[in-house]
Amino acid sequence: MAPPIPETTPETVAGVIAAIAAFLTISILLGFFVRKKAKSFEEWLVGRGDIGPLVTGFALVASYLSGWAIFGNAGLGYAYGWSGSWLIGTTSVMGMTLCLVIGYRMRRYVALGARTVPEMLRVRFESRMVQALAGLAMIILLVVYSVGQYKAMATVWTITTNTRFEGSLLATAILVLVYLIVGGYTGTQWVSCFQGILLTIVGWTLGITALFWAGGPAKIAETIGMQTFTYPGGQPTQIPLNDYTLPLPPPEGLAFPSVDYVGVTAAVFMFLFMATGFPHNIARFLGTRKITKREYWVMLLILIVGGLTPLWIGVVGFAARTVWNDTLMTAEYAPMYGDSAAVYASISAGGVPLTSLFAASVFAASVATLAGMVMIMATNVTRDLIHNAYPKASPKRLLGLTKLMLIPFIAIPLWWTFTSPPPILSEFMAGSAVAQAGIFFFVVGVSMHWKGATKWGAIATIIYGLTLTLLHPKAYGKLVGLYHWGYWALLLMFGSALIYFLVSLSTKPLPEEKLEKLFPKREG
Amino acid sequence: MSKIHCLLAIMVLCIILVPVTAYLLGGWYAYWGHALLAIIFGVLAVFIKTRYY
Repeated sequence: MAPPIPETTPETVAGVIAAIAAFLTISILLGFFVRKKAKSFEEWLVGRGDIGPLVTGFALVASYLSGWAIFGNAGLGYAYGWSGSWLIGTTSVMGMTLCLVIGYRMRRYVALGARTVPEMLRVRFESRMVQALAGLAMIILLVVYSVGQYKAMATVWTITTNTRFEGSLLATAILVLVYLIVGGYTGTQWVSCFQGILLTIVGWTLGITALFWAGGPAKIAETIGMQTFTYPGGQPTQIPLNDYTLPLPPPEGLAFPSVDYVGVTAAVFMFLFMATGFPHNIARFLGTRKITKREYWVMLLILIVGGLTPLWIGVVGFAARTVWNDTLMTAEYAPMYGDSAAVYASISAGGVPLTSLFAASVFAASVATLAGMVMIMATNVTRDLIHNAYPKASPKRLLGLTKLMLIPFIAIPLWWTFTSPPPILSEFMAGSAVAQAGIFFFVVGVSMHWKGATKWGAIATIIYGLTLTLLHPKAYGKLVGLYHWGYWALLLMFGSALIYFLVSLSTKPLPEEKLEKLFPKREG
Repeated sequence: MSKIHCLLAIMVLCIILVPVTAYLLGGWYAYWGHALLAIIFGVLAVFIKTRYY
């Protein structure tokens, strides 16, 4: 007989709160220590360009593993079986290594005055308009991404502390505020490095524990092979979970990425481009020192170990499905549904210690990421839009405005999650990921390596990418007959590529003497 | 075809093999097979970067 879905005990509540408090304390102490050593705010942001491969590698792992990877992946495995694998990101290592070999060149722009990704674009294209547009695009896409982070942390809080989901959302917002006020914002590579190590250890441990808890790999494969898909809310279907595609009925079903091999192909390319396309990922190279060939291999090893963590979280979802069948998809578990699988599995398989560590990891992945994104969005407004338009604006006023802007950027995704929480958070976040992959892989990643890129190519790509984002099958795509996620994603990513290259080739790049500064002959 | 083109071709093959393994193998073999293909892709990417650039 299957073990019952566990109840929360006072020990669990105490363990979770203690683990989160410990994580917060370590992050704050690390942040304080690094800030004390830094001579200026800018030095605190990007260091002294002396950060080595270990710290950069784990910091990159931390920024890549958001609430989606460390938490939502279990929901995907639980709800969709093998077909959830495409959004779990079984090929994450591909994208992360591309980010490593492409993103390293970011450090060159620090010497030229850039401290953020939009500023790097201003330097690359000598264009304030590109900086402003990139800042605007980041705000729009990060708001969507933040909704998923809210759901991840609120779900953990709801289950482990027996709080109502709405109350947990408020608690998450308060935690984000506290995190920002006490200075735990993960701008520093050292804090991110600590988080990357924590997420990797806990992800692997939970995945391996869950694998054995559910009876081993053969039992999981056999059980999933016999089950069928259940919609969030509990409506059963006859669609089996034993395949890598899930042919949900059209037209609504076409919005699911793994509905067929077109969607699957798009998901593979999304993972290939998105690690480089995420501005918060590629920014990790801003403080990196010169890396030797041997150190490149060290970083690759870190990315492989860290990049397999999402797969282990997916395993947790498969294990939970094996043990509890589709129980968590029923209305009783609304609005968390399959996303609650990881928490219940951690309680059942690992007891209080593993649940507490897992909660701290989700805190690290979602609340810290959320805090980081809120900060990025606020500085996008002040640094990339206002300061860009009015360069003489006083720094004191800009700083005050940045602090003020934190409130709307905490409140907007909070309200969104409050009024319409996505049933499966990773599926929702994939929409934003496609857009970030399609726009920024080319505009940022390729532009650092291709002299022919022009500001008009970048501007056209950003506008095209944002327009296509609105045409997501679950947004306005239906109005133009775009129901299929795969076609939409391919159209966004490869359409962005086409526009980027065509417009760049038909417009004039920067003069050669200016490009020489950006493309020196030897890798610095 | 130069050595670097061969390596790039293997990297492209790694991408193509991802859906192919899912279709032909399925289950755990495809799941961890994807990870293995991704690791081969990563090793080749870093090899090209460190050896040729």
